[in-house]
Amino acid sequence: MAEIRLTIDYDSYESGQRMDNLINELAQKPESGTLTALTIGDWGEAYQNSPDTFLDALIRNKDSFPQLRKLFIGDMSFEDCEVSWIVQSDLTPVLQAFPKLQSFIIKGSTGLALPDLEHDALEELVIICGGLPLEVVEQIRSARLPELKKLELYLGVEDYGFDGKLEDILPFLEQGRFPKLTYLGLKDSDIQDEIAKAAANAPILDQLHILDLSLGTLSDEGAEALINSERVRKLAYLDLNYHYMSDEMIQRWKATGMNVNVDDQRASDDEDDWRYPALTE
Amino acid sequence: MKQGEQSRAATMLLIGNPGNRRTLGLQEARSRWGLKPAVLVTYLELLQAAEAGGEAISRLLASRLPQAEDQGLLIRLDAPGEQADVERSLIGLGAHDREGDDSLLPLSAAARRTGISAAEAALLPQEKGRITYPGQWFRGYCRLLAMISREVIRLWPKAVWVNAPEEVAVMFDKRACQQRLGACGIDIPRRLASGSAISCYEHMIREMEQDRMNRLFLKLATGSGASGVIAYQRHPLTGAEKAVTTIGIEQRDGMQILYNSGRLKQYADHATIRGLVDWLCGEGVHMEEWIPKAGIAGFSFDIRQLVVAGRACHRIARLSRSPITNLHLRNRRLAVEQTGLSTQHIERAALAAEAAMAAFPGSSVAGVDVLVRSGSRLPYIIDVNPFGDLLYGVLHEELNPYEWQMKP
Repeated sequence: MAEIRLTIDYDSYESGQRMDNLINELAQKPESGTLTALTIGDWGEAYQNSPDTFLDALIRNKDSFPQLRKLFIGDMSFEDCEVSWIVQSDLTPVLQAFPKLQSFIIKGSTGLALPDLEHDALEELVIICGGLPLEVVEQIRSARLPELKKLELYLGVEDYGFDGKLEDILPFLEQGRFPKLTYLGLKDSDIQDEIAKAAANAPILDQLHILDLSLGTLSDEGAEALINSERVRKLAYLDLNYHYMSDEMIQRWKATGMNVNVDDQRASDDEDDWRYPALTE
Repeated sequence: MKQGEQSRAATMLLIGNPGNRRTLGLQEARSRWGLKPAVLVTYLELLQAAEAGGEAISRLLASRLPQAEDQGLLIRLDAPGEQADVERSLIGLGAHDREGDDSLLPLSAAARRTGISAAEAALLPQEKGRITYPGQWFRGYCRLLAMISREVIRLWPKAVWVNAPEEVAVMFDKRACQQRLGACGIDIPRRLASGSAISCYEHMIREMEQDRMNRLFLKLATGSGASGVIAYQRHPLTGAEKAVTTIGIEQRDGMQILYNSGRLKQYADHATIRGLVDWLCGEGVHMEEWIPKAGIAGFSFDIRQLVVAGRACHRIARLSRSPITNLHLRNRRLAVEQTGLSTQHIERAALAAEAAMAAFPGSSVAGVDVLVRSGSRLPYIIDVNPFGDLLYGVLHEELNPYEWQMKP
């Protein structure tokens, strides 16, 4: 079990350090052979440089990382780069290069594409962003990921790239698409109530252990549908962390005895009752 | 004379607002060590006397300390804020249509003739949280400090200030403070246009392009706490802008009213951002690069490091999920030792704070804000707060900040 995080801060970027060099260096070291998890943080001016500047190095050195099972591309905080500014890329070639990869986490959705997504080992796919483009939603919808157990999508808001509608999300609530799925996260959305209502009685809940509707604008409206659903009651864990539910609704959740996270209650902005998801702040 | 050397018999004159937590904390600490209570002269009394001129201030001070022996007399300035009458009077004192001694006003050349007249100031309605003429307020405060300072020298030439008035004025003005720190070789964030005055939004954008800075902190030069702070970013290719700020905007009777919001606001609208930047430029603004702060568990943090008599003592990490970490925005706090920083990096931050205080040889107490860069963990000084010793529940060698300062 070896994990490594590569990142380039402002000073090292200014002095000429580049991510492809770091990857090439890592590939030459003996620990590359036992590396199981690789996290790539800031690659320098990530608001204008896409991962294309280092993806080739990663793919070219794939045989130096035979044990790699987890990959995170874009692990940077708002202090390093605004999430909606992170420039991503077509990341399908990376998945193709690492057929044994089990976990793939992506942060940032600008320029992101995952065309013809097929992978026989991937168990976890997470996309953290301020707004997921419809094109990517469709690409994941039509992906062939037979081993996928966890799918976590930050849907976000229109201003940061989400150009879909509820109808585009509904297919994720159908059974059969990802037969082994047990964790579904459709989160950080400003249509969180609509998603909650649609999810409340969706057949897919029968196969899920965890439903994650956190970080969005969930209010009592969506919560009412969830709390009345027998299928929801059977979940092992319901994540509603960061929400706009009332005190009364929080009490009702606690009374269910369910394993539910209702932390981080938000109050609507006083002026115009404006609610926003977490990752747009 | 350093504070630690003061004799137990020392008399302390405290200039502050009555009944607040600072004044009470100080008096409790003196009582704990068996010291006579500090003699309080309130800002309001001083401002009323100031209306009658320097001699009235002199009479007021002398009447409070009739037998003061100048030897061992210690004078402490505390925060003037949080009291409506004091705010209004300081704005009045800073009016351009009034005469005043601006010798303590740092960067007086940069001060613009903005604001309202003394007569208007007297009628200024006070609303909690509303931001009113901060540049003029500061000019008034510097004028008051100059008057007090002059009378103190006349009355008690050997009295010692806990923090010298002229240094309090410099610390309070972020432009002047960073300028002094930079000149003393202290590591500070890069300043936009090397710290030269920025006149308006367009000017700022030009300098950002010139300096290749896309993310900035814009700070009201004379604001306290997080008042008038904007974390601003502009995408160099798309021009998309975002401002995360404590400044709330309200439209009232066709007028725009700015207030200190208890919750962070986010603006992406160009006209709004432009208006805020232009307003900041008019009041006096400090602009520096936004250095990515070290973080823990999704929070980023900075360190408030208290320095007393040259030595770092109480400290606390201020955590936030936003770029703005100041305490009063209900942010979380954490012992610095629990932030994941190594002992070595904590020590480096403490040394940086001590070095920053060395730039103010006439001052012995300040809360120094230290930013620790993510990645390298190197410390940068972002603020020196002359009244920054109010830290709830933070102990050093089992003493609170006031007890520590008053310890014989």
